[in-house]
Amino acid sequence: MNRLHEWLRDRLGLEALQHVADKKDVPVHRHSFWYYWGGMTLFLFGIQVATGILLLLYYRASADEAYESVRFLMTQVSFGWLIRSIHSWSANLMIGAAMVHMFSAFLLKAYRAPREATWLSGMVLLGLSLAFGFSGYLLPWNELAFFATKVGTDITGAVPVIGPFMLRFLRGGEHITGGTLTRFFGFHVAILPAVTTVILGVHLYLVMRHGMSVPPSVEGRTPPPPRMKFVPNFLLRDMVGWLAALALLALLAALFPWELGLKADPYAPAPAGIKPEWYFGWMFQTLRVLPAHILGVEGELVGILGIGLGGVVWLLVPFLDDPRGQGPRARFWRWLGVVAIIYVVVFTLLVYRGAKP
Amino acid sequence: MRPLRTLIASLAALALLAALPAAAAAARAGAKPQNSCLDCHRELDDARLAAPAKAFREDVHGAHGLGCIGCHGGDPTDTDITSMDPDKGFKGTPARKDIAEMCATCHANVEFMKRYNPQPYIFSMAEFRTSVHCKRIEEGDPKVATCTNCHGVHGMLSRKDPRSPVHRRNVPATCARCHNPEYMKGRTAPTDQYALYRTSVHGKALLEKGDLSAPACNNCHGNHGAVPPNTRDISLVCGTCHGREGELFAKSTVKAGLELEGKRGCATCHGNHGVQLPTDALIGTTGAGVCGRCHERGSAGARATDVIVPAFHALKARIGNADSLLDVADRLGMEVEAGRELLKQADDQLVNVRATLHGFDTKQITAVLTEGDGLADQAISQARAALKDWRTRRIGMAVSVVAILLMAGLLVLRIRRLERGAGA
Repeated sequence: MNRLHEWLRDRLGLEALQHVADKKDVPVHRHSFWYYWGGMTLFLFGIQVATGILLLLYYRASADEAYESVRFLMTQVSFGWLIRSIHSWSANLMIGAAMVHMFSAFLLKAYRAPREATWLSGMVLLGLSLAFGFSGYLLPWNELAFFATKVGTDITGAVPVIGPFMLRFLRGGEHITGGTLTRFFGFHVAILPAVTTVILGVHLYLVMRHGMSVPPSVEGRTPPPPRMKFVPNFLLRDMVGWLAALALLALLAALFPWELGLKADPYAPAPAGIKPEWYFGWMFQTLRVLPAHILGVEGELVGILGIGLGGVVWLLVPFLDDPRGQGPRARFWRWLGVVAIIYVVVFTLLVYRGAKP
Repeated sequence: MRPLRTLIASLAALALLAALPAAAAAARAGAKPQNSCLDCHRELDDARLAAPAKAFREDVHGAHGLGCIGCHGGDPTDTDITSMDPDKGFKGTPARKDIAEMCATCHANVEFMKRYNPQPYIFSMAEFRTSVHCKRIEEGDPKVATCTNCHGVHGMLSRKDPRSPVHRRNVPATCARCHNPEYMKGRTAPTDQYALYRTSVHGKALLEKGDLSAPACNNCHGNHGAVPPNTRDISLVCGTCHGREGELFAKSTVKAGLELEGKRGCATCHGNHGVQLPTDALIGTTGAGVCGRCHERGSAGARATDVIVPAFHALKARIGNADSLLDVADRLGMEVEAGRELLKQADDQLVNVRATLHGFDTKQITAVLTEGDGLADQAISQARAALKDWRTRRIGMAVSVVAILLMAGLLVLRIRRLERGAGA
């Protein structure tokens, strides 16, 4: 065993990795719990990659075969139902974990200098996760996915100037067809994973480079907060969380297997109560509650522009907030974050209560 | 000189303008009218004479550019009473007995009818002569329907027009205008058809639901050759829509038996004008079962019924059982599409049994029942397998969750030991 270790060490430069692992530590304070959510998101992403590769062995990306191939996988392939169910549930949990990670980083002001690029890369990763969810949702080619994708791409088409182009780009034409399915499959298994791998590498590098951020409320304290070794102490705690997530996934997959529903029929009327996936719910509900016209401008357009503007402001917060994380400007951004969280939670819940203005 | 010339030119122009309306009126007076019959009759004070001209505005013949001359003769270009001179071919009101022949001059002429419709309905006088109506007309009966009694006259609409008395939804009421107790007083023909029809499955479908594929009177009795279908023909009549049942019945031994007994085929069990939606209760010798009406207890027919009826209900029970089991599995989130497909096939076999019963062939019926049983059993097996799979999944889930939590517990212990060691 020692000889193998020596062999690998000489060829792979394991000392450098060992050095990094020995050097990395994590501050311990009352907000340390939120540090685990980045690792949790990464773990769930790993599950997505593993189960996604297994699904690829059976999935056939065409309007004629997609639904049938998923049905075959779920009914005829050993543990096929489990793999698909875990992939679907894990996708939702991953986006949930990424959101918790993002909001906790916002409230703890982890984006302050020198971590602006870490924040920006993290936001891009969240956007990529949403794109993974949106593109993957259509792949089983079932009724709900078909119409949810139609609604989603319709909203994209309403964006001024670039909307019509984006709609045709996403759909591969004016309508959702087998061409859209092939395109979404390409996004889901090739383009998005390639881009995500690069951005994730950058994000992890930046986390390693700058270490964990200490919130402003803890930063100035004397003595400074104690630190915990990343390997093995923090990593072992991370693993406890991952195992808990795995147990939750097993429970969800066995008790609430992901349904396949009916095959998409482009000529059938849209079924009642079409909703997007929960993570797009707050945006969907925002557009739904807006009046038809606001100051003579189409309500939907105002909503899309408002959400887009909000996203840009949210992305640029490291450059807008007080770099010390203290003072009235910092308090303003913290409260804005709280309001944003309440807004997102309430509007997401309203979608599932079927509330209408 | 110049002002004088201008004055003369202006006066000449004014005179020309004044002469124009007079010239136009003269030209109009000289033009021959298209249909003087309508022009005059429309203006008449006698409502009886004015009504045809007013109604003709909507007439299907008028819409195709045909005028009064086609039926009444005369000269429509003559604006005087002389247009109705018999010398000009004026025929007046056609006699009832001549109406069908008169309509046939155009409606039995393929070439003429093709001018207005590439696939025209061609009226057959020969067919009409086979009808009870025509026979009675020829016998001089004045109360029997001819073309105009059903289709209307002056204001006749296409049969596709929902306002037309011969539009499918209106046919039963049109027939009932004559076939009612009051009009038919003193005749032997039954008069309860319309009342019965309105309560029948066909009548409800056509009159209440507006289902135009449901039969009206003419679909069984014929249009222009309307006759009461006799016993020998009734399975062919019903069979035009209920094809498989009609075909099986026509080949069955029961058909011949009923003929010998003077019974009326399908109507023996189902009735005729008042035919109700057949339920499974009709199958059997007891209760609402119709088999017992002919097959006495202990007879060969009753014995066959005693075998088939329980097997039929057993198939229904099997299908119901499979359906509930699949429902349970479905609610538990299991994939039951394959089971549902089998159940659909078993259901099809149940429908097949209902049709096959009309052949009265025990062997054939039993074969279909057996096939249905097999499919229902397969659906039950699929549902049970799904439920078993669901139980296995729960056990697997419980075992894996325990194993995962055990590992998590061991990790927690490892962390504690590690940190205790470091603290010490």
